[in-house]
Amino acid sequence: MMIGEGKSLYWIGIAGLVGLLAMGGCAKKSVVATTSGVEVAPPKVKPDTGPDGPLGGLSKSPKDEAVKGPPMMVAKADQAEIDARKAREAAQKQLADIYFAFDKWALTDDGKKNLTQSAEALKQVPKVKLLIEGHCDERGSREYNLVLGEKRAKETERFLLGLGIQNQVMVTSFGKERPVCNEHDESCYWKNRRAHLVLEDAK
Amino acid sequence: MHGCPHSARRVLSGGRLAAGVLVVSALFVVSSGAVEVFLDATRGSIQKIPIAVFPFQEGLPLNGQDPLEVLKADLRRSLLFDVADLDKLGIKVAGNAAPDDESIRKAGEAGWAVQVWGAILPRDEDAVMEGTLYDYSRKEQVGGKRYVGSPAVVRHMAHRFADELVFHFTGEQGIARSRIAYVSEKNGGKDLFVMDYDGYNPRQVTFDAFLNLAPSWSPDKQRLVFVAYGAGKDPQIHELDLTTGRRRAIVTLPGLNITPDWAPNGEELAFTTTKDGNAEIYKVNKTGKGLERLTNHWGADLAPTWSPTGREIAFTSDRGGTPQIYLMSADGTNLHPLTYRDRHGSYNTAAAWSPKGNWIAYVCRDDRRQLKLCVISPDGQQWRQVTTGNSNDESPSWSADGRHVAFSSTRNGKRDIYMINVDGTGLERLTANGTFNDDPAWSLP
Repeated sequence: MMIGEGKSLYWIGIAGLVGLLAMGGCAKKSVVATTSGVEVAPPKVKPDTGPDGPLGGLSKSPKDEAVKGPPMMVAKADQAEIDARKAREAAQKQLADIYFAFDKWALTDDGKKNLTQSAEALKQVPKVKLLIEGHCDERGSREYNLVLGEKRAKETERFLLGLGIQNQVMVTSFGKERPVCNEHDESCYWKNRRAHLVLEDAK
Repeated sequence: MHGCPHSARRVLSGGRLAAGVLVVSALFVVSSGAVEVFLDATRGSIQKIPIAVFPFQEGLPLNGQDPLEVLKADLRRSLLFDVADLDKLGIKVAGNAAPDDESIRKAGEAGWAVQVWGAILPRDEDAVMEGTLYDYSRKEQVGGKRYVGSPAVVRHMAHRFADELVFHFTGEQGIARSRIAYVSEKNGGKDLFVMDYDGYNPRQVTFDAFLNLAPSWSPDKQRLVFVAYGAGKDPQIHELDLTTGRRRAIVTLPGLNITPDWAPNGEELAFTTTKDGNAEIYKVNKTGKGLERLTNHWGADLAPTWSPTGREIAFTSDRGGTPQIYLMSADGTNLHPLTYRDRHGSYNTAAAWSPKGNWIAYVCRDDRRQLKLCVISPDGQQWRQVTTGNSNDESPSWSADGRHVAFSSTRNGKRDIYMINVDGTGLERLTANGTFNDDPAWSLP
């Protein structure tokens, strides 16, 4: 699978190095490769305006140069939001998770059975909002799993609405970011490939 | 044997070698593709500049900071220098003093004409770091730097001096001052952290204790955009200004708003939203206005990454049945596949376009269905697997010099952040603490 690195490339490399080094004392203009093979200058970006500024170059009689290090302010969380989330998470556990096959978002027979039971419970509280979270096991890539998790959540939503629930439904996906089980094998994978139903606090 | 002292000497003399430079520069322009070849050729030391780094004179306690090791490690990682092993050369420099004439001569005659030394001395409450570049072949000090700051930032001074040396020899900015933003598990949630590019000085920058993901740096490295999950809300794209601590929401569309990538000009963001029912790629200007749709397909289109020119975008799409990498112009036209199931495998995602333009790194899957890093040239002509072994490797992000990729991997059990040279050499672990470190995003220098 490796691309060839023949001798000619090696000598081209040397030539490239010499060329590159020769540029050391001259004005520099950085270029980048493109799909068309034509090299163009990248867009001008405002130079580093951090506390230490851009490089100044070496000097035979260097002056003092103040170094502060990078800035690093932090962002505090919204406490009200954290509290609301915790309350919601603690709300209730009566709605069973349903599980999915690897890389699939179609409902299983067991999943449909569980959702049918959950729908009966939901019909008792039609004014409460329902959040459906889609989750994945760890084997897919991070980004793609976010999309897969949403497909699972939406499939679950579609089935529940088909059973006639009146609740307002929201769907979201956590991809593989919020696993319930952390072993790296199927004993955990199946538990993580799930749709999780959460009732909103009735406010 | 070590490398070519003549080249190094030329560099040291700078523009004074007028005739020679002209010829060589002409060659350089004609075969400009050779630059990338060189930048990729990280194996062996023959193309590298031999450099001897003598121990620093230390006049104040540094609390475990070791600027000499920082500088040497930076020079090695630049892949531009062959750093001398002074012990092997039989050079014993007396501790806590500038190198003596005999050591300088010994190193110089062994071929290490480019020599560096330094001192760290107290001045009032501050530390002063002096660095000197010396050319043995001309018996001349080429130049130096003097940094003044808190003793706590001595590592940073050494990084800065390393970048000055890289800049002196190549005109490139170096990567030693760059930082890596990442996601780490803490207090039952996943929050954003920022560390130096060598894994030192990690610092937590968000404190939601829930779920923040996918940081991307602004080109001026003052701000991060990232995906923020909130209580009962769809994931939004937020911006955090690291100089003020101010945080604001930029994209709050209904559905998932994920995988932001800051355009190289700093003016726009490309991202994925599922507001239309399935995942599509949009762009928006940095204030959150001017929403523009780039993809339109029933398949999932996600995870955009800008080319360094800002003219093209690579992304993931499963429109062909399996996730593959596609390219399009930055206005959504000229959409075409870059990877193919029959040639590159059935699972290719999470593209990251090198700041040098010549490679696109992405997550591929090996025979054992484990995730690995691969790179492919934007014209599809060259491609290869970069990481190997029993691990799941994810979330590639390039160094500014286009020679290294940071990524996350399970190769030592839990997920941690590593860097590797684009040719698969030089694997280095950057995080070890905590339970989970992921999603590295590498800043410009």
